[in-house]
Amino acid sequence: MRIFDPHIHMTSRTTDDYERMYAAGVRAIVEPAFWLGQPRTTVGSFTDYFDGLIGWERFRAAQFGIRHHCTMALNPKEANDPRCVDVLDVLPRYLAKDGVVAVGEIGYDSMTPAEDKAFEAQLAMAVEHDLPALVHTPHRDKVTGTRRSLDAVASSGIDPGRVIIDHLNEVTVDAVLESGCWMAFSIYPDTKMDPDRMVAILRRCGLERMLVNSAADWGRSDPLLTLRTGEAMLAAGFTEDDVDTVLWRNPVAFYGQSGRLVLDELPGFGHAAETFEGNSVLRGARAQ
Amino acid sequence: MSALRFGYGTNGFANHRLGDALAVIADLGYAGVALTLDHDHLDPFADDLPRRVDAVRAELAGRDLGVVIETGARYLLDPRRKHHPTLVSAAEEDRAVRVDFLRRAVRIAAELGAECVSFWSGVLPPGTDEATAWQRLGDGVSAVLDEAVRLGVVLGMEPEPGMFVERLSGVEELRARLGDPERLRVTLDIGHCVANERDPVAECVRRAGPLLVNVQLDDMVPGVHEHLEFGDGALDLPDALAALVDVGYRGLAAVELPRHSHAAPDVAARSIAALRGAAWIADAQRRIREKPSSIRTLFPAAGRHCGRGPLHPAADPAGVVDGTTDDAARVRLLAALGRDGASEVANLYRYGDDAEKRGVLRGLSIMDGVLPVDIGLDLVRDALRTNDTRLVAAALGPYAAAHLDQHGWRHGVLKCLFVGVPLAAVARLDERADAELRRMVADFAAERRAAGRTVPADAERLMTDHGGGS
Repeated sequence: MRIFDPHIHMTSRTTDDYERMYAAGVRAIVEPAFWLGQPRTTVGSFTDYFDGLIGWERFRAAQFGIRHHCTMALNPKEANDPRCVDVLDVLPRYLAKDGVVAVGEIGYDSMTPAEDKAFEAQLAMAVEHDLPALVHTPHRDKVTGTRRSLDAVASSGIDPGRVIIDHLNEVTVDAVLESGCWMAFSIYPDTKMDPDRMVAILRRCGLERMLVNSAADWGRSDPLLTLRTGEAMLAAGFTEDDVDTVLWRNPVAFYGQSGRLVLDELPGFGHAAETFEGNSVLRGARAQ
Repeated sequence: MSALRFGYGTNGFANHRLGDALAVIADLGYAGVALTLDHDHLDPFADDLPRRVDAVRAELAGRDLGVVIETGARYLLDPRRKHHPTLVSAAEEDRAVRVDFLRRAVRIAAELGAECVSFWSGVLPPGTDEATAWQRLGDGVSAVLDEAVRLGVVLGMEPEPGMFVERLSGVEELRARLGDPERLRVTLDIGHCVANERDPVAECVRRAGPLLVNVQLDDMVPGVHEHLEFGDGALDLPDALAALVDVGYRGLAAVELPRHSHAAPDVAARSIAALRGAAWIADAQRRIREKPSSIRTLFPAAGRHCGRGPLHPAADPAGVVDGTTDDAARVRLLAALGRDGASEVANLYRYGDDAEKRGVLRGLSIMDGVLPVDIGLDLVRDALRTNDTRLVAAALGPYAAAHLDQHGWRHGVLKCLFVGVPLAAVARLDERADAELRRMVADFAAERRAAGRTVPADAERLMTDHGGGS
């Protein structure tokens, strides 16, 4: 099983996780910029974090054979803090970077006027920088938040085919299915979604525009729940090809719209390690 | 972006049927072909030539390919002697065979709507004096020109190393002798310019400028007439392409690799990637010279346009020692910044991702004298504080060798041993290595041994090598 986790916060995870993920078949990930648990108090704190997403974390993932990409944004929660809002001025510089495959996570936390403003401004940046957008739906008052998110997407003029609405569940999926946006589900050990409920949604709504992620972060979460969902799909009668559609081809198709996905095997991993200049027999020692 | 139209020479697809070659070339995104008439590629002596010409014309049109006609087939006219006979052969009847062939080529070009017919002079038989040679060449070219004028076809004469006309100056002289005929122009092989011209490539392009009707692209090293893939010789491809854009060249620029047919599809794919990357660099450099701040969006985009692979995959598969193609591209962009743009450099690093930071570090030595040393050293020291092996390696290039204090430099070298960067990445290692560094490395080795671990071979070598400073 090859797995592309389209939403995982590796900054908060250990190298043990990277090793387990590679062993489970994870070869590519997207790490959306989000909040860090501890609130930030300055723009500099954001830029150091952004630098990590396109620098250290990408390097760290590569050491374990995993292609790391990210999305950049001012998250909805911190859009309410005036000390953080000026990060929107430096964001365009980061949206030009390699490996930045969307604007996100944007959207709503408490649905305040400040969140409206940041959401709208960042959807406009996605259009301007020709990037897709990743929209986080709120934990509280979720149905209303999802509807308001879809309204904001519609009025921004961005193509719904370039938008993910994330953290969906049984009660929010239908509105998004109808909108033309992509539907993403975070599989958690005990909140959000679980593998069996996910399989039921896939049965009801089909595989098109469907994304499954672990959204693993600093809270109770598990980077391998993507794999567990694939296994649950097989147990429920879905084919290997169906699993590949949901866990690889769909995220590749969505984030491929950025033109900035890099999915070549990393040097030293996979088939590239056994070949030398296109020949199947190793003819020279590999420099380390 | 680039105004250039890239093509590929069918003589580099000698093991393909012509139709298959056109399909592969078109699918890779080339805009045209340089079609060498040969025994199995539109044989000009075939009985059913008109039908074959119609078929090729339809195929070119269907694939939206432009075409120039090349006439350098090796054994088309004489199965025993390569490239024989020629316009300067000794016997009149031999020269007539070549003239007849070239006039056929002109008629085929007219039928195909080709942009030109390209030809060369031929190797002068030993003992022939120069006046005789010019006479033979002038007569032959005039006879071909008559047909070209009649059918509205343009001729491009190619200087060919080792032949009677082997430099651009020879074509210029022939034109002067014939009264500067409108339809006699120049085919320029960019690799030949590297190998055999006295002027630099860009100057040759400028000289040929208004007369240029056909361009062949390949790499070479000075003094050696061997067609090489881009990057394997001494050609500065972005500079050559920039010169073609500067003179307003609108014709085909076709890759000329006649000895690479055995791997043609792969070579053609690599070639177009190299050409697109080089054209992007040339265009980006022009934009940066016009407006230095445009480097802020061009610098991050280099990998997307030029690729990210190691420069020397066999010796340095991870690109740690010699860097990557995007590193090299970014150094070119920095070179275009000049003095006015030096203030951009620190922010390119500050806001750069890992690859951009590496590009800045590898470009520091060419910014030396333009960028204040304290600023450059700040960036080197920042990189040496990271644990990213590729940043650490890039930081210890020639700039650090020239400017970094001895203590900081020693710790940089030791860090390489710690994180597994080959010491080949450290510029002027033997010159700057001193007794204190050897002591530090010996302690490091002792610590490794005490823990039951292996000592890197680079560390062993450094400890036993007593050359250099002390």
